[in-house]
Amino acid sequence: MELMASAKSIRQNIVRMVSRNGQGYLQQGLGAADLFTYLYFAEVSLDIHNPAWEERDRVFLSTAHNSALFHAVLAERGFFEHSRLETYTKDGSELEINVSERLGSVVEATCGSLGQALSVAVGVAQAAKRQNRTFRSYVILGDGELQEGQVWEAAMYAASNSLDNLCLIVDLNQLQVEGHTQEVMVMDPIDKKFQAFGWAVKNVDGHDFGALSAAFNQARSNRNVPTVILAHTIVGKGIPFLENQMSHNMVLPADVAEQCLKALECQA
Amino acid sequence: MKNLLHGDFTDKAVATSVPKYYGEALVALAQFDPRIVALTGDLAPATESDLFRDAFPDRFFTAGIAEANMIGVAAGMARCGDIPFVHSFSVFLTRRAFDQVAMQVAYPSLNVKLVGFLPGLTTLLGVSHQAIDDLTLMRVLPNMTVIEPAGASQTAAVVRAAAKINGPVYLRLHKAREPITNTAVEKNLEVGKGQLLRDGDDAVIFACGYMVAEALLAAETLYLSGINVTVANMHTIKPFDSEFVLKQSIRTGVVLSAENHSVIGGLGSAVAEVLAERPAGVDIEFKRIGISDTFAEGGTTAYLFDKYGLSARHIVAAVHDLLERR
Repeated sequence: MELMASAKSIRQNIVRMVSRNGQGYLQQGLGAADLFTYLYFAEVSLDIHNPAWEERDRVFLSTAHNSALFHAVLAERGFFEHSRLETYTKDGSELEINVSERLGSVVEATCGSLGQALSVAVGVAQAAKRQNRTFRSYVILGDGELQEGQVWEAAMYAASNSLDNLCLIVDLNQLQVEGHTQEVMVMDPIDKKFQAFGWAVKNVDGHDFGALSAAFNQARSNRNVPTVILAHTIVGKGIPFLENQMSHNMVLPADVAEQCLKALECQA
Repeated sequence: MKNLLHGDFTDKAVATSVPKYYGEALVALAQFDPRIVALTGDLAPATESDLFRDAFPDRFFTAGIAEANMIGVAAGMARCGDIPFVHSFSVFLTRRAFDQVAMQVAYPSLNVKLVGFLPGLTTLLGVSHQAIDDLTLMRVLPNMTVIEPAGASQTAAVVRAAAKINGPVYLRLHKAREPITNTAVEKNLEVGKGQLLRDGDDAVIFACGYMVAEALLAAETLYLSGINVTVANMHTIKPFDSEFVLKQSIRTGVVLSAENHSVIGGLGSAVAEVLAERPAGVDIEFKRIGISDTFAEGGTTAYLFDKYGLSARHIVAAVHDLLERR
């Protein structure tokens, strides 16, 4: 229940943040809100009072444009005050539309250029192994991003080096700039591709906290192989009239934003 | 059958084992600094990192033939306190993985050392393997230090210098083919400081890397015809010793840059930028020696240097030309 309440608050903040700008990454934020909530509230070890804590789990956000969601999650988790969300995308703000490490250690790398974060997460996992450290390396990729060749270079490296402290989460929302992922580039079967690359693969409903819990627990217990969690998410999730509306950068007038907030309020 | 040696792709193979000054220097350094790790993209022998691999197998990582990923992996390691030395041919580290270097190494200013071999036209392997724009690409990146030593005698010094810098460094190295005999170049160097190798009042040649030897040869020839030139080793392309360049340029009034690299964006451009912003009223004649905005082809170094205008004789001719202009 607490996770649901957090996710609801996060969705409300996403709507407010995008609405202030009139447009933005609304749909993918709403879509991945449950996934991010589970990851940041129930899975990873972080210290909100010391974001640079050396033994923290590392979370790399490769979908750096999913920034309304990311910043809303950090505020909800207590890394900074909610009022700071009002500076999102404002000139001079550290809360940029593509998440930047100008914000501090809670941003593990600056990943707006897609396809690079898995490699960095792999390097962190490899260094942790060599240094006998117990933190884990998490990385969130979008599904469209799997079209970048570097992702598969990194996937090969991770399996070759038995990086079982690495957990890749793919936000499978089927949305990219030019439309539905399958229409832009045929990528299925994604699970079999990762299996062929030597990964442990788990398909999961990205809105089901119980299923997410089971998947992350399984990932922790996998030995000698990296794990990918293929989290199936629905863009616009939580606001009935937005669900499944395939817009990468949605225009959000003030009156529609009001309706969004009302719809979220009606949620259990 | 006897053990055959690995070739080095620089020129015709030599029958005897070639020295590995870089590899030895890295191993020596790593013995005292456990943070140093090494990565290669399937080029351990050609980049001399095989010595590190054999000495520290637990600190050596092969990334396969996948440079973009290798850069990212190194960045992740650096974020955990390691000091990764990343090895490949210069062209693949810089041109192929440019965005990865820019975003994951230079922007966060991580402690990653990029070690590239086969600079410029020093390889038989042809246009795909010739790094003629790597200085340009690395020099344009904020936070990056760019160093090309003047041959094998300075290799150990640049390895130590790179490790001392807490940030990204690009080392442009040329494999030695025989034991060091040339003592004209001081083996130590100070990063960011031009190095005076020969003093003369008639002209100054700013050279880097392989071209330092060519410049010294040219200076000998010029001396025989009564022309005394200064030769400076500009081993650090960035941060550039602008003050030194300006001072030597004003003193002689005749300036030549010489690099085993395109004339666009590298040492010649760095010198040109300094000269373009010189104080008013200073008269200077200037020319760049380098690859003239063209791709080359595979061949021996001597052949290619002669064909593309990088030999000592080209430097001599250019100095005569500049002196005539005055």
